Order: sequence, then structure tokens, then C-alpha cells
Amino acid sequence: MQRIVVPGERLEDKPLRIDEAFIDDGKTYSTIMSMYDDEKKVLVPLEGLWYPRAGDSVVGVIQEDKFNVLIVDLDSPYRGLIFAKDTNEDLVAGDIIEATVKELDKTKTVILGRPRKLAGGKILYVKPSKVGRILGKGNSMIKQLSAETQTYIVVGMNGLIWMRGGKIDLCTEAVIMIQQEAHTSGLTNRVKSLLEMGKQ
Amino acid sequence: MAKSQDKPELIINGKRTDGRAPEDLRPIKIESGLLKNAAGSAYIEWGNNRILAGVYGPREALPKHTSDPEKAVIKCRYQMAPFSSLEEHGRTGPNRRAIEISKVTKEVFENVIIRENFPGSEISIFVEVLQSDGGTRAAGITAAAVALAGSGIPMTDIPYAVSIGKIGEHIVIDLNKLEDNYSDADVPIAFSPRLGKIVLLQMDGNMTKEEVSKALVMAKDAGAIISKLQTDALKAPYLKISEKYKDEAPSDPQQK
Repeated sequence: MQRIVVPGERLEDKPLRIDEAFIDDGKTYSTIMSMYDDEKKVLVPLEGLWYPRAGDSVVGVIQEDKFNVLIVDLDSPYRGLIFAKDTNEDLVAGDIIEATVKELDKTKTVILGRPRKLAGGKILYVKPSKVGRILGKGNSMIKQLSAETQTYIVVGMNGLIWMRGGKIDLCTEAVIMIQQEAHTSGLTNRVKSLLEMGKQ
Repeated sequence: MAKSQDKPELIINGKRTDGRAPEDLRPIKIESGLLKNAAGSAYIEWGNNRILAGVYGPREALPKHTSDPEKAVIKCRYQMAPFSSLEEHGRTGPNRRAIEISKVTKEVFENVIIRENFPGSEISIFVEVLQSDGGTRAAGITAAAVALAGSGIPMTDIPYAVSIGKIGEHIVIDLNKLEDNYSDADVPIAFSPRLGKIVLLQMDGNMTKEEVSKALVMAKDAGAIISKLQTDALKAPYLKISEKYKDEAPSDPQQK
């Protein structure tokens, strides 16, 4: 049984290691607004922030291009850095890129690797907590979106989604719908019918 | 506190000026998530108070020297709109009172936000009083707590605030503007309900130890009501969408 929990709400009477939860006095409490599954003991965030981790793929906008480093805006408290030695591409301020988080330094600056320029298209900002639902299990949802609308989509774990070509408006509509209704059941079917309606 | 010789009688036959009993709260209404540009937001109607709270961040702390490499810094701005009351407010930026309330509000939230998760960043809280009728700092804290919880910033609790006071021999809670001006004591107090800890206590006037203990019990009883309203306000937008599709078969293989 799933229920909506708020920060400070008790999840379990015993100490359990759950993501986005904390243990106090032998009991487990939530730290954010989320859906809690009593049986599976998992918190699915309704509202949440992106914590950079090595290996995350992100979408960002280049803020500054300096002699040996590029500074990337990731819509997070921390800046992304790309060292000039890590890229052969000619990137300048204003370019949209896709990259992978290589490592985090002591001050939590995000060091990015393998940058790839994304030319044209548009960026959609979504809540980072909904990215998992937009991707779907085994990327099924995003594959379906991409196939049905013929849009090229790149999803960043930081909540930036880049899209180009095809029925881009329909695709945007679908992504916004997924974001709003992420916590409801039967969403895949509704997305499917939205895409079918848009096709005609 | 305006002390005058011709002090009005604030409690007659156990009823206060607006017809409440000493332990009654004014009607409260909270809404969450109104501002799309903010990470989290809330609007509260507490009696005649109308307050809007917005939360931005965590974002890069600027100016850079304000940042803390160990944890996030919290910045708070409480401001009364120029049209919020009969007195002059907010025309020339924050006054002494606004700076004080901003500081105490900030300290309330330093107790509950898990700041270690975002070293070097800042979280900005804005509390805008659109209409005031006494107890705005308490209402502001209550609204800001909802805005913060709705923004996804990790917190250990959702605090609430309420004012307690003394009018003659009577211990009362949730003072309005008139009572605030002529009461014998006005004590805004904020609780962290999970642990029952006090996170704000300011006193204007005099109360004995026994009177404060009695008032605290009343405040905690009222707090249960306020906490419930906060939680309901946070859940409402989600329940509204869930309600719309509740009849659909949960045939979704992706549903966790």
C-alpha cells in the first residue's frame, strides 16, 4: 500500500536504511515529500533535488568558455567543469551539451567528461525527482515517446531534457503530463492514448 | 506594545474581541505550490493575515564570501507590503523590525533543514506579508515551512509557529493586532512537532513560569491543528490528480 508522506513523518518503527530517509532514536523518518511503499520499503520522491554522482549523464548549457576550461550551468547549486583536454569539439558559451559526470571534487564542483554538443532543438526543465518516471523502466517510456513522435530526446539526470525534430510539441506535452501525473497508476496507458490522439 | 491609560477591555464574559475563547485559533487556510518559478511556495490566510512565502534554491551562494564550505546557508527576507497595514511599512526597504524577523525565521529553519547535503549553496526564503493583523511572524514561519517542504529540500520536520500571550488574568493564544497592542504579554513561539522542541521563543511583556507552562500546553494543542493543515496543504495537489484517475485500472507495469 502506497501513501504520501511529508518531511518528518514516521515510516517505520525500526531503523531501516532507506534513500532520502533518516534514523532518529531507532525509528525511520522521511526527509522529503514522497510516496512510501510499506511492503517494498522504498521512498519514491514526489519532490526532490539532484545530487550529482559519478556516472550520471547530464544536459547543460555552457556559461563561460575560458582558455583551458568550460563552465557549464547544470541548473543545480554546483557548476559543471569541462577541461579543454577532455574535448576535441569547439564549444563556446551558449552551446547545449550532453556529458557524463566524471567525478566530484572537494567543493562539490562537478567535473564532466565526454561532452557532446547538441545542436539546435530546445530544452525543457523538469523536476529531477521525475526523471526516473520519464525514462521509465529500462528506458521504456522515453523509447516509446521517441518512436511515436520521431523526436530525438536526450534526458539529463539533473532535470534538463533536450529535444529536436519530429512532433516536438506533442513530445513536450507528453513529458509535462508524465511529470504532473508521475504518482498515479495507469500512466503508461494514458501516455499511449495521448500519443495516438496526437498522431491523427 | 502600546500601553495606555484608557486600555480597552479585551475579554468580556470569557470571549475575546472577535468572539473567540482564549484557547481558540483564528480560521486558517493554507495552499501550497502557487508560484511556478519558485522551487516551493505557499499562501496562508490566518484570520485577517494574508501571507505569501516562496523558496528558491539550493543555488550557488552569492556573494561568494557568504557561502559555507561545510553546509548550505539559509537567507531569509521577511517583508511587509506597503499596503499591508495602517502603518508605514516597507517603502524604503527592510526596517529594524523586518530585519529582526528575517533573522529569527532563518534560525527556525536552520534547525530543521539538513544543510550538510548542500555545502557551499544557499537556500532563499521569502516571506511577503500582503495584509497584516497581528501574529504575522508566526503565520510567516508556518507558511515558509510548507513552501520548504514542497520544494524538495530535505528537512527533519515541518515546524509551525503560534503566538501565546496574557490579557489581564487570562492566558490566550493566537493574538490579533488589537490584543497584541494592549496585551500584558505576547510570546511568539515555534515548535518542531516531531520532537516537541521549541525553535523560536521571543517575549514581549511579562509572564510567570506557571503562566508560560500553561500557555505552552495550549500552544501544543493548537499546534496539532496547524500541523494537520500544513500536511493537508502539501498533499492536496497530489491527491487532486490521484483522485482524477483513481478509477483507472492499475495496469501500469512501470508503477513501482
